[in-house]
Amino acid sequence: MSTRADLTEAEVRALGATLGLAIAPDDLTEVTHRLNAFVDALAPLADLPAGGPEPVPAPVDPDRAG
Amino acid sequence: MTAMSAMGDDLAFLSAAGLARLVRLRQFSPVDLVNMYLARIERLDKSLGAFISVCAEEARAAAREAERALTRGGKGGPLHGVPFAVKDQFDAAGMPTTAGSRVLADNVAAADATVVARLKAAGAILVGKLNMSEFALGGTVDFPFGQPRNPWKLDRHPGGSSGGSGVAAAAALSAFALGEDTGGSIRGPAAYCGVVGIRATWGRVSRHGCVPASWSLDVAGPLARTVEDCAMVLGVIAGEDPADPLTSRQPVPDYRAALTGDVRGLRIGVVQELMDGGTTPEVRAAVEAAAGRLRGLGAVVEPVSLPTLPLAGAAFMAVCDPEAAASHQRWLRERPQDYDRATRRRLYTASLLPAVLHHQATRARARIRREVLDALGRHDLLLSPAASIPAPPIAREAEPVTSKEVAAKRFFGHRSHSTPASLAGVPALSVPCGFSSEGLPLGMQLAGRPFDEATVLRAAHAYEQATDWHTRRPPLS
Repeated sequence: MSTRADLTEAEVRALGATLGLAIAPDDLTEVTHRLNAFVDALAPLADLPAGGPEPVPAPVDPDRAG
Repeated sequence: MTAMSAMGDDLAFLSAAGLARLVRLRQFSPVDLVNMYLARIERLDKSLGAFISVCAEEARAAAREAERALTRGGKGGPLHGVPFAVKDQFDAAGMPTTAGSRVLADNVAAADATVVARLKAAGAILVGKLNMSEFALGGTVDFPFGQPRNPWKLDRHPGGSSGGSGVAAAAALSAFALGEDTGGSIRGPAAYCGVVGIRATWGRVSRHGCVPASWSLDVAGPLARTVEDCAMVLGVIAGEDPADPLTSRQPVPDYRAALTGDVRGLRIGVVQELMDGGTTPEVRAAVEAAAGRLRGLGAVVEPVSLPTLPLAGAAFMAVCDPEAAASHQRWLRERPQDYDRATRRRLYTASLLPAVLHHQATRARARIRREVLDALGRHDLLLSPAASIPAPPIAREAEPVTSKEVAAKRFFGHRSHSTPASLAGVPALSVPCGFSSEGLPLGMQLAGRPFDEATVLRAAHAYEQATDWHTRRPPLS
């Protein structure tokens, strides 16, 4: 069970400002809901067993390996 | 009455392979074919919204040149004189490449994308550029160049992001269409519109001249009315491209030669996690019937479990969206008003996702890929629905997101049928496998081993030839 608190609209606006993104009031509510839902949806990924294959983005063509 | 008018719609719905044959035999002129498709676009596209731009004069000029080449005794390429259209994500020299966005409305391409150049070199004739979800991300609410509509029911979505490509192929507005698949953007429209669409192995097809959605996931590919057409077009566009350093040097086989109709002994795993988890009963029944048909053709069909697949949708978005957002930062800062609001909000969200979560998603991706490849070590192909539902109503996507719970349900609540193959980088295809009770097409997905598109196409072709789903036409007027 996650103990993370949801981000507020003010916090999301501030995060956007760090990238120079001026998130308009009309967008802010939905972006906040989306971001909180996104983080929740990704929580199970943290529970996957450690180790395993390295996260290369795709199968490496054998003739290009190395 | 000319032979052309006598054939009427039958000619327009003929396969690209069939049209190429008729042109070679001088039964029809490339000029006739181009004019026929331009007339269909003029007549039908006001209601379908498949095209962003049409290059009528350039197409007619190319057709006249193709005709002259035949008169001189030239044999032409495998697609000589065959009209096609391309998702407006790919450059075509002298035409705008909008990627479905006002942001790029004035972006005129100086040269052809490699895939467009290869199709032209094979003799195909470009008639126009196709509508798409903005920047190939899906979820567009307000399409700046008009709402694409499903030809089977105009109030239904054609799928995204290659929606116009699905519509153009299904409504015979061109002989075939080119799309791009990041997380299902070829297979989804193919399934919803009742045509065939293949995403090749990642790296199999050049992305040079393609506006990227997500660099580690994007693959170009055809949407067409038959498997043979997909095989033919893929054979033309696939292969190493010095302009795209991520293309593979693996040789490209003759995909059409692989269409033997023989699937005896082929081992096909039915992915249980994609048969369950939100798949509607009629989609499941159609895919089960298709699996039975393949079994009847001699394939060994058995269930297979990929337990990490339920995480694929979220992992996909955490890989794809930050990659996309990274390339949009300048426009998001300087021209946010030029984006559709859904695209803008999605890109804002992805911009703010913690990097740790993105990295965890890449690790999940590696695990999903391992599961997929392990399963493909035991089976030649993996079978599943291409989509969990038939084409949904268009209006549903415009509803406001009023809470985290609504956002979770809307964007992360559905099991993704198409993203596992994308994350794994393996080839995957959607082929028609039935119709819903409302008369909407249903698609079956076949995924194969890396660089083994030939087996994917062979099985799909054998199934297609044993059924008549691909012969049905949408009710156009």
